[in-house]
Amino acid sequence: MRAHHALRPLHAEWTKLRTLPSTWWLLAALVALTLAVGAAAIAPVAADVCPGGTCDEDTVKLSLTGVWMGQAACLILGVLTMGAEYGTGTIRTTLAATPTRWRVLASKATVLALLTAAGGALAVLASILLADALLPDYAPALRPTLGSVLCLTLVALLGLALATMLRDTSGAITLGLGILYVVPLLVTLIPSPTWQHRLERWAPMPAALSIQSTRHLADLPIAPWPGLGVLAAYAAGLLLLAGVLFRTRDA
Amino acid sequence: MSDATIEVRGLRKRFGRTLAVDGLSFTVEPGTVTGFVGPNGAGKSTTLRALLGLDAPDEGQALIAGRPYHALRTPLLEVGALLDAAALHPARRGRDHLRWLAHSHGLPVRRVDDVLAQVGLESAARRRAGGYSLGMRQRLGIAAALLGDPPILLLDEPVNGLDPEGIQWIRRLLRRLAAEGRAILVSSHLMSELEDTADHLVVIGRGRLIADTSVSELLHAASGDRVRLRTEARTQAMELLAREGGRVAVTDRDTLIVTGLPASRVVELLTEARVPFAEVGAHRATLEEAYMELTRDKAEFTSATETADEVTR
Repeated sequence: MRAHHALRPLHAEWTKLRTLPSTWWLLAALVALTLAVGAAAIAPVAADVCPGGTCDEDTVKLSLTGVWMGQAACLILGVLTMGAEYGTGTIRTTLAATPTRWRVLASKATVLALLTAAGGALAVLASILLADALLPDYAPALRPTLGSVLCLTLVALLGLALATMLRDTSGAITLGLGILYVVPLLVTLIPSPTWQHRLERWAPMPAALSIQSTRHLADLPIAPWPGLGVLAAYAAGLLLLAGVLFRTRDA
Repeated sequence: MSDATIEVRGLRKRFGRTLAVDGLSFTVEPGTVTGFVGPNGAGKSTTLRALLGLDAPDEGQALIAGRPYHALRTPLLEVGALLDAAALHPARRGRDHLRWLAHSHGLPVRRVDDVLAQVGLESAARRRAGGYSLGMRQRLGIAAALLGDPPILLLDEPVNGLDPEGIQWIRRLLRRLAAEGRAILVSSHLMSELEDTADHLVVIGRGRLIADTSVSELLHAASGDRVRLRTEARTQAMELLAREGGRVAVTDRDTLIVTGLPASRVVELLTEARVPFAEVGAHRATLEEAYMELTRDKAEFTSATETADEVTR
């Protein structure tokens, strides 16, 4: 009975998330974008038949290129989970129903993580199946597969943290897209190789995608698991900061 | 419903440089509808938010059934609140809004359908809230407040946006809920909305208590020893009554309100002087008039504190 009591806010957040059409549109977008970009990335390799299967392409990484695009849908889903509550004013109803604020944030994070993990798994598995059908000597690997799903999940949690801190949907989406897409772009533009290397290692986005690499691991700016760890640290750190602000601020 | 009380004790809340609530204290008893009245910006919503644990007080306490809101294990079963009827996700169906609230307390879906029926919103329940009129939003908000069948209700401007039929409906509903022994606090910036609904009034201005009184006492005090009369010869009557020590006010083309003379004396004077008149009787103040009188008495007080504020800044 006690356990059941503790699960109630979780049940409420699940009902909230699943009764919005935008949730399902964004999950559909996650799968469609991941699959479409993945297909576009492997198409040239599939057409260009490697003689004797000796081509040097990291086909596993290539087949998961779509994750780079699909993460945008995850970010927006994460932002909306909290941003829409501030935008519409329902946050007050939510906090009147569950006055313990960390419990509200933890419930939202749990439900969001489970749903994006499911959607992400679908998107990643579809990409792998497509690559398996199109590429002659394709062998999927566990780490890039699992890592890509975790990456999508962490991006959604990052979105939730940003929206909780900013209490604003458009601001959080702008900032989130900046972190995901503008920072990696800066890496190529910065003239200093030292700073380039630092950003590649410590900015969440180029770092996290190293989890997809299966070849030439020694040449990566950051190793696969530590790379994903960087994104996890950002998501966890910002979620913690968001939790502190959420607890102390007036609603 | 033994401990259905709302208690505000020395509540103080500042937002930046604005002192929204300044040492406010009052209690709402079970079985009554208490009107919470004051102009816009008087601190009503801040007080309600403090009661719901949404805003942390700088000083003092806001208690539900003797406890701060965050100490309530199942808050929706203890207090139902309507703060802002517009606070709905436009893409979510009305019924789904109530369903997530029910799930937050492990309430059965049957309760959702019960309250939807109670507020007369069954036919629109499966539509998205974005298409609701303001009146429908108010009804959904009231349904949400009633979901846990709570002994205490806090309603912020629930009459706003309702049509005359809706206003009648909510008056009857509030009377019935109070008769069941609930403590109900209803805020409004229009005193006339509370006529025939509230038993008790808490009047605030600039975050401070102006009056904490029963409606009947207030009306009695405001009606005073005033006499209302109708006359064709307004000027003549005014001169005569003023000469005899009455204070005379004109309310419309042929109606006068006389203070300081008993009705019998007014009749006597007018008859002697052969001034034509009709309908002499004791004046019964409306709640709106009583409120105006209250706030007029406090006008000097409020402007004085305003100056003091300016100086201390």
